Amino acid sequence: MIAVVGLLLGILAGLLLEPAVPEPLQPYLPIAVVAALDAVFGGLRAFLDGIFDDKVFVVSFVSNVLIAALIVYLGDQLGVGGQLSTGVIVVLGIRIFSNVAAIRRHLFHA
Amino acid sequence: MNGQEEGDSDRRTTTTPPAYVGLLSQVMSNTLDEDYRTVAAQRGAEGGPGSRPRRLALAAVVVAFGVMIGVSALKTEQDRPLALAERAELVEQIHLREQRYDERRATEGAVETEVTRLQKQVADDTSSNITLSSRLQLLGLDAGTLAASGPGISVTVDNAPQSSGRTGGTILDTDLRQLVNGLWKAGAEAIAIDGHRLSSLTSIRYAGRAITVDYRSLTPPYVVEAIGDPDTLPARLLETPGGQTWLSLEANFGIRFDTEARDRLTVPADPHDRLLYAEPTGSR
Repeated sequence: MIAVVGLLLGILAGLLLEPAVPEPLQPYLPIAVVAALDAVFGGLRAFLDGIFDDKVFVVSFVSNVLIAALIVYLGDQLGVGGQLSTGVIVVLGIRIFSNVAAIRRHLFHA
Repeated sequence: MNGQEEGDSDRRTTTTPPAYVGLLSQVMSNTLDEDYRTVAAQRGAEGGPGSRPRRLALAAVVVAFGVMIGVSALKTEQDRPLALAERAELVEQIHLREQRYDERRATEGAVETEVTRLQKQVADDTSSNITLSSRLQLLGLDAGTLAASGPGISVTVDNAPQSSGRTGGTILDTDLRQLVNGLWKAGAEAIAIDGHRLSSLTSIRYAGRAITVDYRSLTPPYVVEAIGDPDTLPARLLETPGGQTWLSLEANFGIRFDTEARDRLTVPADPHDRLLYAEPTGSR
């Protein structure tokens, strides 16, 4: 409940307030969002598994976002930013798919 | 519990991976953070829900996630018009270039046609040039502006010898004119007197004590060369009034009048081939 309300609140705040993202950080925002998605779906699955923990979720969320952004930043500095972004997105995408599949099994028992 | 069993199977796979399982399958099988289970195992022993600060942290993270989604969506939305504009401009440029290409192709076709036409015209001009130059040559021969050669007759005339004592034994300009006119009438095509070509502008006059042709004084004997049929020219000359005059001159005054056929004669060109005043009618 608190999660859904918080999510809606955040989206509204982001859309309405239009917080200025610093120019150097802008390329990392989409990657950060994908990494955050991974953490969120992982948390959701843990919740359905009955082993959800606030602290683990917060830590995994923050570290996911930071590491993803850091990898892409490193790639940019090395001149392989595009390829590294693709790699990160592929791995995170696979994880998201697996977690969503597990969630689906929980919800529909199939 | 169903999820627990699946978690166990996850763990089994990660702890004893088969030899063929590569990085990809590892990524695919190990999707849930291990910490959840570890912490759950610990909490299972302790029991009880999370504390209040933890709830707040969770809410903050969720809000941050929402803000991130909102901002990226907003940014993508803001960037879209720009991307669309770029795309539209590119499409426009493509159309423009295609149009230009078509135009160039059309121009190329037109130029090619023009080249073909000009080449044909050059060919035509060349052939007409040949016709023109041959025609010009013919006219030049006729007008006396070109040297001419061919068969003809040579007429040598001279004053009567002084010893004959008869008066009137001197050749006058009229006599020469009569001879020349007779030759024209007899069919001569080109005539020269002592190497002076006769054209339509050449005068034969008597000046002082000498006959001048084209304003140059000549001394007897005078040699009149005429290009024409050497077989018929002498006879036809005698049938003309000029020829008759000369026959009587020869008979009555002892003036020399010798006609001789030649296989090949050459008469020079009349040097005065420029008309100062006359021009084709309708040229202005």
